[in-house]
Amino acid sequence: MQLLLLGINHRTALLDVREKLWFSDDELRSALPALKSRFFSECFIISTCNRTEVYGVVDGPGEAATVEAAAGPVIDYLLDLKSAAGSDTRSALYTLGGAGAAAHLFKLASGIDSMIIGDIQILNQVKTHYNLAADMHVTGTFLSKLIQTAFHVGKRVRTETTICEGAVSVSYAAVELSNKIFSNLSEKTALLIGAGETGEITAKNLVARGIGSLTIANRTRAKADELAASIGGAAIEFDDLLTKLQSVDIVISSVNSPAYVLTADQVKRTMKVRSNAPLLIVDIGVPRNIDPDVNKLENVFVHTMDSLARIVDQNLSRRKTEIPAVNAIILQELTAIRQWFEALQVNPTISDLREMFETVRAEEVKKNINRFSKEDRDLVELVTKRIVNKLLHLPTTNLKNMNGENADDSHTRIHAIRTLFGLHHTRADSKDASAPETKQ
Amino acid sequence: MTTHIVLLNILLPVAYFATVWAYAKAFFKNSPAAKKIKTPLLGATLVCHALYLLARTFRFDHPPITTVFEIMSVIAFSIALSYRVIEYVTKTKNTGYFILILALGFQLISTLFIQDLTDVKTVLRSHLLGVHVVSALLGYSAFAISAVYGFLYLMLYHHIKSNHFGVVYENLPNLEKLEGLAMTAVLSGFVLLSVAIGVGLIWLPRAFESFSYFDPKLIGTVIVWALYGGGLISKWAIGWQGRKIMILSIAAFSISIFSLTIINLFFSGFHKFY
Repeated sequence: MQLLLLGINHRTALLDVREKLWFSDDELRSALPALKSRFFSECFIISTCNRTEVYGVVDGPGEAATVEAAAGPVIDYLLDLKSAAGSDTRSALYTLGGAGAAAHLFKLASGIDSMIIGDIQILNQVKTHYNLAADMHVTGTFLSKLIQTAFHVGKRVRTETTICEGAVSVSYAAVELSNKIFSNLSEKTALLIGAGETGEITAKNLVARGIGSLTIANRTRAKADELAASIGGAAIEFDDLLTKLQSVDIVISSVNSPAYVLTADQVKRTMKVRSNAPLLIVDIGVPRNIDPDVNKLENVFVHTMDSLARIVDQNLSRRKTEIPAVNAIILQELTAIRQWFEALQVNPTISDLREMFETVRAEEVKKNINRFSKEDRDLVELVTKRIVNKLLHLPTTNLKNMNGENADDSHTRIHAIRTLFGLHHTRADSKDASAPETKQ
Repeated sequence: MTTHIVLLNILLPVAYFATVWAYAKAFFKNSPAAKKIKTPLLGATLVCHALYLLARTFRFDHPPITTVFEIMSVIAFSIALSYRVIEYVTKTKNTGYFILILALGFQLISTLFIQDLTDVKTVLRSHLLGVHVVSALLGYSAFAISAVYGFLYLMLYHHIKSNHFGVVYENLPNLEKLEGLAMTAVLSGFVLLSVAIGVGLIWLPRAFESFSYFDPKLIGTVIVWALYGGGLISKWAIGWQGRKIMILSIAAFSISIFSLTIINLFFSGFHKFY
């Protein structure tokens, strides 16, 4: 049994190539059973704007050549299914097998494979797509365990590292700045000047973070009313801006204006009225809406696109320094799942081996038991059982001791043992639908 | 008993150093291990320190406030304890390094120079003296903490103003919280100093024949008390806030230390025992 991954992502292909292999939910519902019946014992697909990845469990030993061999027909099938056959798409596809594929999934869950490092929104998408696959009955014990471990990796990364911390977009950087000045945003008020896109997103983020109230001032009143209705807030006349400035804590200015919307003198006069209460002004207009001298006033903090971009850059740099800690977590979880997987492989093989020997012994004893006197028959049972136990003692011990060895080596050995002793049929006879190794 | 006191006396600066190191690692290096151990380490240090002060009290039969170096140890303890209370109440765990380094400094000096004094003046064995001195020391410790928070406020204020988004920006609590912590410390210090002055005014005339309302230390303390009282009034009545009130807090503490140092060095009076 071998885990196989093949996929395309933002690192290997541009959007125009990635979108060719994007799957809608309906497409997934039809593709998953087809993939399972043709290639896999278990499978699921993650398909987002940044990646499409197919995870499948295939039969056979874990050799690199097998990964390539197993991936080829699946790639052909997928390209054909999505009518995406072309050298650009094929060359952008990557394949991984075994521990490499599992490590890739864990990197995905930890956010270090995301377009923005530390962005673990992908975890929700993985969960959604896995649930869809589970509903289609194309997953089993192995993928279930793998996904649970991936979620565990995501959780550990969130709690044990700071890779997800710090704003990594300009609009969130403005919210982060607000949180560095004010304690409780629900007790604060914000004023959005203008209805530019970034300003609107920033205001939405403030609302999402529970800002006490939001007021919108725009030269076109109707647009302010419309925006206030859509994101929750109140609109005021643009001319009432200075009056409102006396009572708000945060100002986001996003106006397309050749002149300053707020001058240093205006803000200075306002600060006196507001007893010098701290005021954060986020100026995301181009050209700048706020007179730079406003930042010289006491308790007034003016930040522009440049300073917000600097916050984003620093947060991204800091997130990168957490990658070694994340990799250490991934390695621990990979080791744990490998041990689980090996136990999953080894225990049924030992059990099958013993069952096969016992069957042979019992059959032979049954055939020949009449050749022995009645007094000796119990002894024959005992002696043959002892012989079988002694013969199996060393192989059983060695199989158990294989845990901890190279995963590919142990898979190969188990596969060889099963082939050598013809254990395929034994497991198939007592096949447990939930145990993927029974498919071997 | 004395051996325990000697051992604890040596252990305390080591324990404070370890605690400060853990808080520093947590703040500057974001170390998860340091974040995990810093508060338990502070708790253990405080327990050792409390045992040390109690042991000294019982062994030498007087509260440990009879020499400058005993008082320094009490100051170190009160600063660390006050910080622990602040950490517990406000859940602000990132400022310990800046506060506890003061406690380490005081305890280190105390450890190096402290002597075992068994023969103390009868007046220094009074319980009222204990209340007077302990409340005064806790009050000044609170003022020291308010000054540290004021300093941290100004540091973060400057970093935000000048677009420096480094370790200080990332790890300090927000400005409003720092201001709140500083003002809580000022209020606590003001109340404690009021108690110290009140108890002193009741007890000192009874204890000292040479008592004088013009004693330099008494006048100095009242001036400090008035300065902080004025600061609190300007905060609540005039509505001062932000940078201005933080500068006032630091200035008031600097004046307190400066005036008390000058008074102790250059003036004499009944209010001087060592």
